[in-house]
This record gives sequence, structure tokens and C-alpha cells, in this order.
Amino acid sequence: MKPLPEIHPPLVNASGILSYPEVFEAFESAGAALGGYVTKSVGPVEKGGNENPVVVYPGRSEGPVLNSLALPTQSPEDWEKDLAELRLKRSRLIVSIYGGSPEEFASVAERMSPFSDAIEVNLGCPNRVPGEQTIMESIGQSPALSGEVIRQVRAMTEKPLIAKLSPNTDYLAVAEACLGAGADALGCGNTLGPGLAIDVATQKAVLAGTTGGISGPALKPINLRMTYDAYARFGCPIIAYGGIATWQDAAEYALAGACVLGIGTAFLGKGTHEAAALTRAVWEGILAYLEGAPFSEIVGGAHRKGAPDLTHA
Amino acid sequence: MRDIARIVENRRESAWTHTLFFDHEVACAPGQFMMVWLPRLGEKPFTLSYLNGITVKRMGAFTRHLAALEPGEAIGLRGPLGKGYPPLKRPALIGGGVGIAELRLLALASPEPRFVLGGRTAEEILYREEFGRLGPVHIATEDGSLGRKGLVTDLLPIEAESYAVCGPERMMAACLPLLPPERTFLAVERYMKCAVGLCGQCTCSGWRVCVDGPVFPGTWVRQMEDFGRRRRAKSGRWEAI
Repeated sequence: MKPLPEIHPPLVNASGILSYPEVFEAFESAGAALGGYVTKSVGPVEKGGNENPVVVYPGRSEGPVLNSLALPTQSPEDWEKDLAELRLKRSRLIVSIYGGSPEEFASVAERMSPFSDAIEVNLGCPNRVPGEQTIMESIGQSPALSGEVIRQVRAMTEKPLIAKLSPNTDYLAVAEACLGAGADALGCGNTLGPGLAIDVATQKAVLAGTTGGISGPALKPINLRMTYDAYARFGCPIIAYGGIATWQDAAEYALAGACVLGIGTAFLGKGTHEAAALTRAVWEGILAYLEGAPFSEIVGGAHRKGAPDLTHA
Repeated sequence: MRDIARIVENRRESAWTHTLFFDHEVACAPGQFMMVWLPRLGEKPFTLSYLNGITVKRMGAFTRHLAALEPGEAIGLRGPLGKGYPPLKRPALIGGGVGIAELRLLALASPEPRFVLGGRTAEEILYREEFGRLGPVHIATEDGSLGRKGLVTDLLPIEAESYAVCGPERMMAACLPLLPPERTFLAVERYMKCAVGLCGQCTCSGWRVCVDGPVFPGTWVRQMEDFGRRRRAKSGRWEAI
């Protein structure tokens, strides 16, 4: 297995959040404590995704957030031009990819590989434009197909591969197939569901795509369990996503087994400087919690045997 | 966050523009915006022209439906969103086309405003009588049907303590070099999806217009290479402005 590139601080944005290279540059310039940035998922052909509304949320960032963007993407050629212009000073770039078949995943991986420090393979998106199947349904819930995607992507790139899984499936079976086919790390995980929101005045679904993946605080206990289970079974590197807004959230995921922590929905409503401050607060909180110990000290800490250490309680 | 408003009046402002009045006011500061939802047709950003109203120019399917709404019909409102104008003293409010609508609430909130308005024709110059009661109004129209024949930029520079500019991006880009950037604020428009800073769709040189703007200081806008040049379409592909 290839190690993940060093991502320091071990924080990234979640794919589909911030999305574009120039936004990553703005975050880096604003002093965000993100050691890596993950692109929006790059697909095989240009696609606009769902009509608006594409997001529902109850308040600011409290409570579940639903989105149904459904993987809008420029063509791979346009992504190549964008990524060729990207100038990150100290952060890593992870390119997220998707396709409708193993062959499509592989062709996108081949094109994106030269621009990336690692490739994240999106196997779990639960969103679709009406009439389509989701990636989660068509590929991500099948260990055999997910493994085949990873096998074909692996043949196209030497870069570390992260298999990003849906929490909405037998994820350990899918993870096992992906790791067996050459994945180097797991992404735990995508948004949950999809879920539904109905407007009581119009008596119709709010999202134009009807349903949407669930993120934010409601997702945290689910993806935390996924991280914990996957670390216990495989002990592999894990990038965790789902409801991380504070250093405590991030520390929980690290203790469950994640070595990199993704922030997404917590940026809701926050301008660049506020969002950058949030990432610094998460990292500074973890550093204080570590009391000088290396971050790796707490990764998987919840699995260790022995008397509990109550000094942090 | 999501609120349903009933239309109480649809007022025709010109051949292309209508003001839709809601049954209640919205706590939206000048320059902030609301996402207006028409079920099955979409959701788009609008800045209020009245505390209980938006002024809409018929452009595509969404705005045609919006402009045709009748009293009793309902729309969804999400917001207020984004950052609006700071308090402005003795401002010159520079508006082009339907961008003039956004300046109305700002004019009412600002001491001693003066107005610099432009449009293709006299029909496009909204609220000119009301603005005339608040301060001096300078007008340019491309066809010469009202005011000076020409562009807004022909009326600049103008003396004021601060400047607010709202209109088509090429017009704003033409105005910016004629104004003191540290005392100028511009309302940037981009295609929006989530409108709360998550998806990155509305980026202008990396600033997410929905949360970092839509109103930006001139000093920032001068650094934005994309301003006046390019924006991301629905798929994320670049398109020229």
C-alpha cells in the first residue's frame, strides 16, 4: 500500500464543498489550517446537476443539512486546464473522481493523476438527477463492482487511492473489496441517505432532485461508527468526514481511527475568513488536547486496551 | 430559514420590470439577498427593492413566471443571505438597468444620497421620481431618451464621500477605475446554487460571492482577476462575461 501524502495539519475540506481551485487558493491565503484540499468530484462528461433548490437546512449549521447537487462537473479537459493553473503554496491536492462504470472512473483517473497528490474515488454519492441511478446504488453498494472500479483505476495511476464509501451499505464488505483491489486508504464516508424534506405550504419536496444526501451533525455518529469499524477491521489510513465542526468532533474521529479529518457542512454561512478561523480553531484545539504528543498518538486511540486516561475528561 | 410569502400586488414598473410585493416584510439589510423559490422552476438570488418586495426583469423562464405572479400566489424565500453594504455617508449610488432596484433600500438608509443611473432607454430608469425627492439624479441612456445620451461612465467621476455600484458586470468594471476603490462598494452577481458558502459555484477569483459578498469593497474587487472577465456556469465550466 502507498502511504497517503503528508497532510499537515491533517485537515481537508470535504469533496463538493468549496470545490474549485481558486477557492482553495483563497482559503490558503486566508490562513486556513487545511493541509489538503479535495476537489469537487470530476466526472467523465460535462454535467449541470440538479436544478435549484439543491440545499435544505434547518438553521445555520445545527441539525441535518440535505443537498442534491448531483455531481455537476466540467469536462475532464476543462478540469485539466483549471488544475494546471492551481498554485497551492503548502497544501496537498486530492482530486475526487466519479464515473458511471469502472471504465469511466479509470479514464477520469488517468487524466487527473498528473495533477493530484492522491485520488479519492467517489463510490458513495447518494444524489441523482431524476431518472438516473446514484453512484451509491449503481456501484457503491456492490463490493464486486466497487472492487472492479478500484482495480481499473489502480491500473491507471501510481498515486495513492482513497476509496470513499457510502455509510448506507455493508461498508466493511465494500471496503474489503476496495483494499483488496489496490486502494490505499478509505474515506469514511459520503453523505447518508438520501433523505427528504417536504415544504408544508406547497406540500411538495423542497429539493428539485426530490431527495438529498444528509450531512452535518446528524451524520457524525454514523460516520464515526463507520470509521471505528473500518479501523478495527483493517487498520488502514482513513480520511473521515461527517459533522466535524469543532476540535472535539475531530478528536473523536481521530480516536476512532481517522488520520485525516474532513470539514464540510460546518462552513455553512461562513465567509472565507470566518471559515479559515474555524479550521484554525479545530487544529489549535487538537494541538492543545495533544499536550505536545504527536497527532498519530491519538489515531485509533479508542481501540487501545488498558485503563482509561481520565486526564482529558 | 425558508419562509413562504404571498404576493399582495404585482406592480408593472416598465415594459420589462415588475415589482412583486409580499404580505410581510423581510429583515434584509441593503445589499443582502434572498433566494427566491418557485416550486419546479428553480431558486435564484434577488436583492430586495422594498422590505416587502423584489423588482424583477423578465429575462428567462424563471423571471417570466415570477413577473407573471398574481396576488394570492406564493413564493419561497430563503435568507437574508450574504454581506450587504456598510453604512454609507453622502454616497453616490451608481446603478445600471435592473441593478437600480438594489439601490432603493440603500438610498433610504443613507444620508444625502445622490444618484447616477444608466440604462438602454428611459424605461429602464426605475424610481426616478422617488430618487429625485431624496437627492440629485444624473441619468444617461444609450438611446438618449432620458438624460445624457451615453453610458453611466460618461457621468463619472462625481463628487461624493462614498460610492455604491450595482448593475451589469461590464458596466461595473468600467466604473471601477473612475472611482476611489477604498470608498467604493460593488455588488457582484454569480450563478448560485447553495447560496450559503458550501458548493463554491459562485466563486469570483476564489471569493464565494454568497458569503464573502455579494457586496465587496472596491479594493478587493480590483484584485479579482475574474471580475468583468469570467464566471462559472452551472456545470462549473468557465464562461466569458
